[in-house]
Amino acid sequence: MKKSIKAGIVCAALLVAPRLLTPIGIDFRSFDHEGYTRVVFESKHSFAYKVQAHPDRLEVRLDVRADLPVPALAVANSQLLERVTCEHLGNGSVLTVHFRGAAAIRQNFVLEKPFRVVFDLVRSEKAPTPPPQAPVAAEKNPPREEPPPAPRPRSIETICIDPGHGGEDFGAIGRSKLKEKDVTLKIGLKLKKLIESKTGLRVIMTRDKDSEVSLNTRASIANNQRAQMFVSIHVNSSFRKSAYGSETYFVSLQATDPEALELAQKENQNDEDPGEAIQNDELKMILWNMAQTEHIRESSKLAEYIQNELNVLLGTRDRGVKQAPFRVLMRAAMPAVLIEAVFISNASEERKLQREDFLDKIALAIYNGISKFIYHYHSALK
Amino acid sequence: MKKKTRTFLVIAVVVLLLALAAQRLLRKSPAGFEPERLNREEEHGDGIAEFIKVKLFFLSETSRLLQPVYREIEVPEIREDLYRKFVSLLLAGDAAHITPVPSDVQLRSLHFLDGGGTLLLDFTESLSASFPGGTAAELEFIYFMVDNICYNFREIKKVKFLIGGNESKSLAGHIDLERPFFPDFSWLGDK
Repeated sequence: MKKSIKAGIVCAALLVAPRLLTPIGIDFRSFDHEGYTRVVFESKHSFAYKVQAHPDRLEVRLDVRADLPVPALAVANSQLLERVTCEHLGNGSVLTVHFRGAAAIRQNFVLEKPFRVVFDLVRSEKAPTPPPQAPVAAEKNPPREEPPPAPRPRSIETICIDPGHGGEDFGAIGRSKLKEKDVTLKIGLKLKKLIESKTGLRVIMTRDKDSEVSLNTRASIANNQRAQMFVSIHVNSSFRKSAYGSETYFVSLQATDPEALELAQKENQNDEDPGEAIQNDELKMILWNMAQTEHIRESSKLAEYIQNELNVLLGTRDRGVKQAPFRVLMRAAMPAVLIEAVFISNASEERKLQREDFLDKIALAIYNGISKFIYHYHSALK
Repeated sequence: MKKKTRTFLVIAVVVLLLALAAQRLLRKSPAGFEPERLNREEEHGDGIAEFIKVKLFFLSETSRLLQPVYREIEVPEIREDLYRKFVSLLLAGDAAHITPVPSDVQLRSLHFLDGGGTLLLDFTESLSASFPGGTAAELEFIYFMVDNICYNFREIKKVKFLIGGNESKSLAGHIDLERPFFPDFSWLGDK
């Protein structure tokens, strides 16, 4: 019987061993706070580590083999950090955070569930301060790992309207040759007039004539002009000629991809309830680098207000609020939505788009949605 | 058989089964379809050809979901050739349904990334030149391709698109085409 048990244990060990030898996945993220930069290494598995601080880099020596999503990771949008690398040394690994200039550790602590090693780094012109003793177990009352700093709340003063397509980019074309670029410009100009006349808010346009503007430039215009809202106007087209109705989008990495949605939800929650560790490191890194990340919640609210108004005023099919990885929205650093008012590929809806009064209704619906969003946004600031 | 040997075998089998079950649970098995290996075999010049049955999904005017159609594919020796044949079937379309791809589009080449988990599809430039435009149409094309491939071949986790051998920012000015796409099986009817 003893032999049988031994054999069973050997079998189990053989099955489990490859798992133990596999490097653990380490997830890296960083945020620039006022006066310091927070660096977080997160893993599903806890590990012991030692710290070596140098003026130009921070080395974290792990007692296990570990892997970052990629061996060398450039850190975008950080004033202090340049890149993070991971090297295997024997049975352990070294994670190295390379600085832009000199930096020192202000504090280092460990958080649990999920396991995280956190460093707060400050810019330094001198030699680095000696690192605190690396804790192996979690502290009883550790500092909280704050979420990325939310944009400082400020009232909405500038709105960027983005009429889709333009110039050589016609957008979709209807059966009677109506071009999407012309429709979106008309709606955009009507909306501008409404906002300026009724609210006095500043409105900037990504284009106010039939000109071609790249998707990246559209978001840059909004960012550079410090707009607090980005509204992209489009009309839809489908391979299904019977498709009709209106829908409003806000950004996602992946339309209804469960991992991306879970990711977006986790990264946007304010309370510390991390739940299950995220599996897809690649997606996570992309999300952290997205300008839109901090604004997804507001973007979804704005999309809802506008979609509700489109439903009320247009009397067409409610296709709802949706998410998709729109290139123009990803780079906008403010609440941002893309409206697909109706289908130009649907003969009946194309005829409606040729009527000025229908375009007025679309502009009014968008204006009403924006107004309601601003009202609730400003109420929340008080 | 001696009692000890029998007990050993029972314990070993139980441990093995438990380990396999745990491994299965840990690995998130994607929803999908296992192409049926058909018994039908045909004599070819240099041997016997094997066939599998695949489930393709096409657009329809009557439903917002992609509708299934079955096809048989001869299994080539090289795996890439199987995917190439599969994409050709998608491009060929189905008479009773809508194919959300411009009719002049061809597959230029096909590659693997990430050790095979990502399939890179390189289409001719007519994909963007002849594309009708519209967010809905872009999403229809993307998920027609991605869902069909990932549904029938579970080893493929995501699909990335190239146009004319190059990365393209977008198909028609909406969806970011530089990133690979995971499947979204909510597009599929009658899974």
